[in-house]
Amino acid sequence: MKIAVVGKGGSGKTSVSGVLARSLARGGHSVVGLDCDTNPNLGLSLGVGDLETERLLSLRDQIDEGEQEHAHTWDDILEAYGTDSPDGVRLTVVNRIDNPEPD
Amino acid sequence: MLSSVPESDTVIVADLEAGIGTLTRLPEASVQSTLVVVEPTPRSIDVGQRAALVATERHQGHITIVANKVADEDDVNRVRDSFAEFDVVAVPEDRVMITADRQGASPVDVDPDAPAVKAIGEIAMKMIAAQ
Repeated sequence: MKIAVVGKGGSGKTSVSGVLARSLARGGHSVVGLDCDTNPNLGLSLGVGDLETERLLSLRDQIDEGEQEHAHTWDDILEAYGTDSPDGVRLTVVNRIDNPEPD
Repeated sequence: MLSSVPESDTVIVADLEAGIGTLTRLPEASVQSTLVVVEPTPRSIDVGQRAALVATERHQGHITIVANKVADEDDVNRVRDSFAEFDVVAVPEDRVMITADRQGASPVDVDPDAPAVKAIGEIAMKMIAAQ
């Protein structure tokens, strides 16, 4: 099942995403959090902390700058560019641009 | 990216970019469910209405409106009236969400029994039950 979470900036969509993912995992489901935001903060709402969130963003930057090779399959992406959050939610960041335009 | 994720038993929760940009670029029928999160304010409702319209036109699964940070029944009704044809679920305004934001922590870890956390947990269970 794939769930998209959308909303205006400041609506609380990332907090909702994080709590939703953690709740599903606590309910016994295998869950992946996919951070597609141009200002990626899902890691914080999932509880992985500042340092790990920044590490994931750095990995994405290295890919964008050609310093890291792209992973070619979904499983490879989760393995190479993901991290485990509390309750077992696997998190990966798939988009980042600096200075995102306000919505 | 989201559309290319293989179908499996794993639940993917995709936090899209603010606004409707990603939603307009997402191939049709990429997801089975779309949560549109809105505050009970005119600007947030306006963006939410555009998001719900795009998600409907592009067949992005069942659409649920999350009336977030609602303080009272008037707030809930303001959102319900603006999304008459959609399911609307309410998440109460809750100090825990602000505290978590300031601490860079998950609201679940700050207080798993907080009203907002429990309300979102109920949304999760409803989505699974409706699958």
